[in-house]
Amino acid sequence: MIWIAPLVLIPLLAGLACLLMRSSRWMPRVALAGAALTTVAAVAYATRVVRGGPFLSAGGWLHGDGLAALAVLVAGVALPAVIAYGDSYMRVVRELEPGDAGWPAGRWEALIFGLMACIMVSGVANNLGLLWVALEGATLASAVLVGYYRRNDALEAAWKYLVLCSVGVALALFATVLLYYSAVPLFGMGGAGMQWAALRPVAAQLDPRFVKLAFLFALVGYGTKVGLAPMHSWVPDAYSRSPAPATALLATALSAVSVAALLRFFAIARAALGPTWPEHLLSLFGALSMVIAVPFLLVQGEYKRLLAWSSVKQTGFVLLAVGLGTPLALFGGLLHLLVQSLAKSLAFMLGGTLLRASGSRRLDHCTGVLTADRSLGTLLVVAGAGVAGLPPAGTFVSEWLALAGGFAGPRPVFAIIALAALAAGFLGIAFHWTRMVMGKPRESFRDPMPRRSRAPLWTLAVLLVTLGVWLPTPVRALIESAMTSVRP
Amino acid sequence: MNLLPGWLPHSNTVNLLAGAFLLTALLVASRRRQLECVSALRANAVALALIALTVSSATHTWHIALAALLALVVKAGVIPALLSARARRAKADVRSIVSLPAGALVCGALVVISFSQTRALFGTREDILAACLPVSVAVTLIGLFIMVTRRQALMQVVGLVLLENAIFLAAVSLTYGMPLVVEAGVLLDLMAGVAVLGLFVQRLEDALGEADTSSLKGLKG
Repeated sequence: MIWIAPLVLIPLLAGLACLLMRSSRWMPRVALAGAALTTVAAVAYATRVVRGGPFLSAGGWLHGDGLAALAVLVAGVALPAVIAYGDSYMRVVRELEPGDAGWPAGRWEALIFGLMACIMVSGVANNLGLLWVALEGATLASAVLVGYYRRNDALEAAWKYLVLCSVGVALALFATVLLYYSAVPLFGMGGAGMQWAALRPVAAQLDPRFVKLAFLFALVGYGTKVGLAPMHSWVPDAYSRSPAPATALLATALSAVSVAALLRFFAIARAALGPTWPEHLLSLFGALSMVIAVPFLLVQGEYKRLLAWSSVKQTGFVLLAVGLGTPLALFGGLLHLLVQSLAKSLAFMLGGTLLRASGSRRLDHCTGVLTADRSLGTLLVVAGAGVAGLPPAGTFVSEWLALAGGFAGPRPVFAIIALAALAAGFLGIAFHWTRMVMGKPRESFRDPMPRRSRAPLWTLAVLLVTLGVWLPTPVRALIESAMTSVRP
Repeated sequence: MNLLPGWLPHSNTVNLLAGAFLLTALLVASRRRQLECVSALRANAVALALIALTVSSATHTWHIALAALLALVVKAGVIPALLSARARRAKADVRSIVSLPAGALVCGALVVISFSQTRALFGTREDILAACLPVSVAVTLIGLFIMVTRRQALMQVVGLVLLENAIFLAAVSLTYGMPLVVEAGVLLDLMAGVAVLGLFVQRLEDALGEADTSSLKGLKG
């Protein structure tokens, strides 16, 4: 409990403090401190899992294992950057952006922290019902963030997000019920049949028909939440219309816990039905997401939509890699989950800065960034490398590992599809990025935000590049521990 | 299982209530006035809570009774109250991309499909499952159908709540309820969900004059 409670309590308390302090001068500092403490708690939790192995807590309701630690770490790393950047960004938005919601000070931070608490609970939940409850709560909190602006486009994006994800999550509840039902002969009614750690070792004895059905519903349900094609249609709208820091949180922390939730069902299906069928299905939907994103990456007018489509491609790649069926591909896929979240949060928040500096969402209104602002241009190059999967960004390493593992595995066809989609997506991103970075800047291009808004971006960029050239032993141990959650 | 007097020989309480659950769902799909749809939704939730109470008294599992009472308060009380407050202000009739009679026919077909397919998967059984599971699958599909075809935002919310009712029924009939904490959490989420959805329906009304989602097509590509 001592390892898990801070993950949830710190964001809750920090959010409450922000709500109560309102426009006090200390509120941003308290928010930042709360975010930093959450990161410390996440790192401590991950360390505990890596050192001591999986553990149960709170009477089996919560637990610690590699997959949870990976999701918690992704969320914990994103939070301080989002809070620090959001402090500058939302201040500027209040003055510049049409349709600002005009929330009283502190409400934004409180909502971000509330969302984070939900994300953390769903990350560490061992009970699949609790996992569902927390993820639905996170969906509701994030919908309010997506619909932050009082404009028709933001409203449309939020409505689509809310309705599609509500249906998705409802189907995931059906999946949870079915899995619970399949365990009734083993645990009896009201027994431990909803606890993942209890289901996992006995998965082979579960009724395969119901496990199959449960996995299908989970794939559609949590797949909607992940943004897996063909349930991805909310992604480009929600990611392009929500305020930049909120997008960064949605695309990293929330996406990571949703992927983890899907992988928990996958792990049980894999153990109950044998590896072939679930892996094949996961690869298939992952490949579909990657292929569907390619045309929109090639022909695109807005950079936040470009990033959103690349995000569909990235999460698709993670699931495809897991489905490729070799340990190396699984390692690459899970590493990609960690690294791409750094790239995505950097790119989305950078997108916010570009929007403020150029005053437009359009790609062609934003040229010559490197000439206009050297530090912003450098960050843009790093973010582009991260999103496209170029060295020295860490995404290159993870994609490389996953594909290398895939070619050696039972489904090389999917590795070839992934490679083709990555190459085609790279062409699109490289084309748009060259135009943004190079060329003649517009006269009016000027970043109105304070210099300190760049600090979180630089931190993320440094982390992204570091993971591209050096994989520290603890991170490697964490990924390996997450691998044992998915395939023992 | 037979809690009714002997003059109803071939039926039992759960079967009757499951029938009521299905019929009220069909009523939601076929009414023309939005307020009537919300009333049918309330009746649907009452049938659901009564099924849960019957299951609880038949199996002597008291936590289901508690969950049933919670469901009665949330699904038949709070949520329809929130929705009917909105529906009363909306003067327009239900607008659907499929005409209501044709839609009712489709829903009938969905019922037939789910009965035959559930039989194929779960086999014919004589317990609570036999009555409730096909109904639950059918109402899930009807809820989805309403969400897809109705153009008003409010009716899409009604479809979503119907869908959630059906999944709740599946949980009660398949496993005699989930752990109480989970049940309560699910209901709490549903209540918060309807509140947030209601908020957005309000904003859609303010922005577009009426909350017709077919005018939401600005975002593409």
